[in-house]
Amino acid sequence: MSKTTLRAVLPHLVFIVAFLGIWEFVMHRQWLPETFFGKPTGIVNYLWEGFITGRKLWLELGYTVTGTVISFLLGSISALALGLIFVMFPKVEHAMDPYLMVLNAMPRFALAPLFLLWFGLGIGSKIAVGTSLAFFIVLANTVAGIRGVSGDLVVLSRSLGATPRQVFFKVTLPGAVPVIFSGLRLALIFSMLGVVGAEIIAAEHGLGQTLSYLQSTFNMNGVMALLALLACLGMLVTRGMTRLEKTLLKWQ
Amino acid sequence: MSAISIKGLTVRFGEVLAVDNASLEVGDGEFVSIVGPSGCGKTTILNLLTGLVPLTEGQISLLGKTPVVGNPDVAYMLARDSLLPWRSALDNAAYGMEIRGVGESERHRRAAGLLAEVGLKGFEKHYPKMLSHGMRQRCALARTFCLDSPVMLMDEPFGALDAQTKLQLEDLLLKLWSEHRRTVVFITHDLAEAVALSDRVIVMSARPGRIIADMRIELERPRSVRALQHDKHFLEIYARVWEKLEEGLGNQAEVMT
Repeated sequence: MSKTTLRAVLPHLVFIVAFLGIWEFVMHRQWLPETFFGKPTGIVNYLWEGFITGRKLWLELGYTVTGTVISFLLGSISALALGLIFVMFPKVEHAMDPYLMVLNAMPRFALAPLFLLWFGLGIGSKIAVGTSLAFFIVLANTVAGIRGVSGDLVVLSRSLGATPRQVFFKVTLPGAVPVIFSGLRLALIFSMLGVVGAEIIAAEHGLGQTLSYLQSTFNMNGVMALLALLACLGMLVTRGMTRLEKTLLKWQ
Repeated sequence: MSAISIKGLTVRFGEVLAVDNASLEVGDGEFVSIVGPSGCGKTTILNLLTGLVPLTEGQISLLGKTPVVGNPDVAYMLARDSLLPWRSALDNAAYGMEIRGVGESERHRRAAGLLAEVGLKGFEKHYPKMLSHGMRQRCALARTFCLDSPVMLMDEPFGALDAQTKLQLEDLLLKLWSEHRRTVVFITHDLAEAVALSDRVIVMSARPGRIIADMRIELERPRSVRALQHDKHFLEIYARVWEKLEEGLGNQAEVMT
């Protein structure tokens, strides 16, 4: 680690250690009830048992991640396809727009009971909720991205003799990528949100289900551990997408 | 034979008469500018020549053919640089050739050569965002001159540049034109630019656009646009063309009252 990064990280390190130390101390002295707040050593213990000695958390993590990835893929691929259809045939968009608006306005978690009935307690209903969230974000961004491509570039290409296919692949699509990409990044996070939320409502597996179970049994160490885990997962997703964006969109 | 021949051209946009019975001949290898107040239909004439706007009344022949979109005889250049932001300067310069099916090694060779000619050697790998406005328009010039199209249609290509950069690019355009000899139709609202660059300046009136003057510019070539700025003869011609343009504007004042 270089000197400058050390200087930047050090204050945070000091703060976190102090925060955890005080937390632990307060709980040790029983100034606050542990059933409500948990304590750092308890949280570490829970994670250790879950991941190293017991491995149960790997399974739950696997369910959530799988659900998220499948939701993301299903939602964004179908949205990309429909977005392209909308741009090519504006009449289709015009006809479908009011229905999509109603669907999008509906709080997706309110659909969870329905999805649970249709797709069961397993991963299917989680994917349904995640997909329904990812879909609308990517759809809106695909249409906006394509519409936002500069008309000058299209005119120039046409005057050069580009076929509609060439215009699409050389101008429209690459021009829309930045906006579509920011939609994809958001969609990935919302897929996770949808899956975890649906797991909390009712499930057999997954981090959301585990969280809700731990909460109902007053295992606050477990709850805190899972919250930290979910935060890390979310950050990892955002970081990954940002890195991908940087390599893909060097020109920006 | 003239490269471009326009006869009795009339354009209406709905009820509005945009261009009224315009006729114009442009000789092979000639540099002709069309000037006029905004809305006089000069860009419309250019769009008709590219085929982007369909011809309704009158005749247009471009190297003996009717204008059609994607005509390989025509290279078109717009006011904004219209470079593809995700392509390097080299790939942008090669873009026109790519659309027209020139092989990769050939188009890279030619694009690199033209980039050097416009003064962008060493910037081949730069994305447009990393280039200044002037450099981007240089790159667009390279893209235009990379094509072997004998006719170039330019729609205020330097309209968005600052005065200093504009003079530099005008000189660059003259240099490229004298080396690559093409027929140029150049649209501008900048009279000094038109006079400095052209063999002939066509003056149009305010809407409805009519051709009210066709003036041969008797300035020796090769010219230096920067040197011309203080040339007495240049200023005289400029004043004469300006008078004509004023007449056209007067026409507009009458129409409006």
